[in-house]
Amino acid sequence: MKVGIPRGLLYDQFHPFFTRFFTELGAELVISPQTNKSILDAGVQYCVDEACLPVKVFHGHVCHLRDRCDLVFIPRIMQLYKGEYICPKFCGLPEMVTNSIPGLPEVISHPVYATTMARLRQWAMASACPITRDRRRVKSALEAAVDEQSRFRTGYHDQGYPIKVALAGHPYNLYDTFINMNIKKKLNNLGVGVITEEFAGGEDTAQEVRALFKKPFWTFARKTYGFIAALASKKHVQGVVYISSFACGIDSVIIELVRDRIKDFPMLVLKIDEHTGEAGVDTRVEAFADMLERSCKHESDHSPYGQCLYSCKSPV
Amino acid sequence: MKVTIPHMGNVYIAAKALFEGLGVDYVIPPLNSRAALEIGSLHSPEEICLPFKILVGNYIQAIEQGADTVIVTGSCGPCRFGEYSEMHMKLLRRLGYKVDFIVIDAPKSIGFKELLARISRLTAHSPGTKGRKWLALAQAVRIMGLLDAVEAKAHEKAGYEKVRGTCKNLLKKCRQEAYSCGSPDKMLDCLNGYNRMMNEVPCDRTVTPLKIAIIGEIYTVIEPFSNLYIEDKLMDRGISTRRLMTPSWWIRNTLLSPAGLNSPGIKTASRDYLPYYIGGHARECVGEAILSWKSGFDGAIQIFPMGCMPEIVSKAILPTIARDKDFPILSLVVDEMTGEAGYVTRIEAFVDMLERRRNHVVSGY
Repeated sequence: MKVGIPRGLLYDQFHPFFTRFFTELGAELVISPQTNKSILDAGVQYCVDEACLPVKVFHGHVCHLRDRCDLVFIPRIMQLYKGEYICPKFCGLPEMVTNSIPGLPEVISHPVYATTMARLRQWAMASACPITRDRRRVKSALEAAVDEQSRFRTGYHDQGYPIKVALAGHPYNLYDTFINMNIKKKLNNLGVGVITEEFAGGEDTAQEVRALFKKPFWTFARKTYGFIAALASKKHVQGVVYISSFACGIDSVIIELVRDRIKDFPMLVLKIDEHTGEAGVDTRVEAFADMLERSCKHESDHSPYGQCLYSCKSPV
Repeated sequence: MKVTIPHMGNVYIAAKALFEGLGVDYVIPPLNSRAALEIGSLHSPEEICLPFKILVGNYIQAIEQGADTVIVTGSCGPCRFGEYSEMHMKLLRRLGYKVDFIVIDAPKSIGFKELLARISRLTAHSPGTKGRKWLALAQAVRIMGLLDAVEAKAHEKAGYEKVRGTCKNLLKKCRQEAYSCGSPDKMLDCLNGYNRMMNEVPCDRTVTPLKIAIIGEIYTVIEPFSNLYIEDKLMDRGISTRRLMTPSWWIRNTLLSPAGLNSPGIKTASRDYLPYYIGGHARECVGEAILSWKSGFDGAIQIFPMGCMPEIVSKAILPTIARDKDFPILSLVVDEMTGEAGYVTRIEAFVDMLERRRNHVVSGY
């Protein structure tokens, strides 16, 4: 039995769990390659137009696996923490894919609630059905997978650069070096080190989130908002680089909340979509790096907008 | 305290009745217009959905007329609407407006105590007894129900009326007259009268007009300004339309959902295509498409604001339904840039296609 796992969306964060689980069950794994031009093109061709870039890329990965496996695993990640969702598109991801790409093999798409072990076990039992019915084997596979995942760490934390920025955004935009055009390398080459949210947890972030009127109901929103707000208000970094996919609903909210919190603190929002031209990104990143360098060395506290946006009078 | 509410279809009429029944001071913002949308687009984040921008326009226009408290519902679904209140508060504060928000949120997320505390912030300013307050609420809900019923009848009968335009004019008069009523009791009488008149509109039931279901995101289907008055446009062409999403449906659905008793029809209908609630009203959209196919409609039009996350999922599913059931579905995306001419052309083409399908062509999707 060949199980296909698309290398898209949250694969970068949860691949130890999913790959270990299906390997332990005795399935042969087929994993799609790193995102490339042909995968992106296939995704754009099949996916519904309005979807965001990462969802289109995911479609491309599934399309790549279409004729190479007997079962495709499309995670329907509903909740990772209690009372928090990922995004509506994640909840409906299997439907989007199966209704857009013709000729797919059987799909495993049971909802994943990673809130308690019992709910994960339900998912494991249901998902393992087409591969094995041995309940004990499923149980031990799940335990091994959870164990593997708990030892897994991602994230960047550069040392020894004169300038440090917080690199924020959804994990699939940060770690897919094809769709973000290897932004980390670009920044590093300009003498800018990055830190990601995995290295900045703790009380500061939690406190920032608690100060909101409403507890965010998206995991991404809670983590990213807390991360940027904590680092920027404590001035642990000199700037923020936010990678956001065009038309991302969650980012439109996070960026607004963050802007309101950090005011004129330097933040570069890089929008990426399937048309992104690399030269434009280079220019913007270089300009941002120059500005940070100048504000650290020569001038202090100049607004990144050229004028104080947040203290000016409303035009209405 | 001077309260206000954002616009959504006919809700302002019921809200007026509620505030008058409670005896609190209120401001109803000017009806949605280009002006409200322009104010909203100026201040809102670029990529947020259309309802957010219109709401900002409503709030600012109401504040300019003296409002100092906004009453709005919340949600904790994975759709962006849940974050609206937080973002609106911060946006208005940043613009220098002093305004309070009373967010009526689900007790599941804020707790019953907090919910009651928030509601009492409104009712504390009402001079009446407890009984009066409950009566005011009941009357407002009843008014909303009547308005929705009158509207639904007008939309349905537009295809059958003997004199083209009777229903549309009656509906327009109904809204105007109900809004100008001085008290909730008078408003109820007025609406009951119009409900009767709507029943008596002379109809020719032998004709077979096109029947189109309006489905999609709740705000853009209910608020006529945001969908460029699509229902009026279809009424003008003598097309009978139906829309299940109404404010009174929303009230019923919200009250019943904790017990899992909400919209059983939609749940069964959508089971094959989208068996989970994914936020917003994506599942309802898919369910309504199936339900309208089952009740013999000619087609459906899905409307949603640009970037609406749940509706993007349903938009991916709808072509499959169209193929499987041989049921044409048109998806229309609206935002502040929507041009009316292009929009109308698409609706006309869709309607033409539905007419031809009936007459001589037996082709499907």
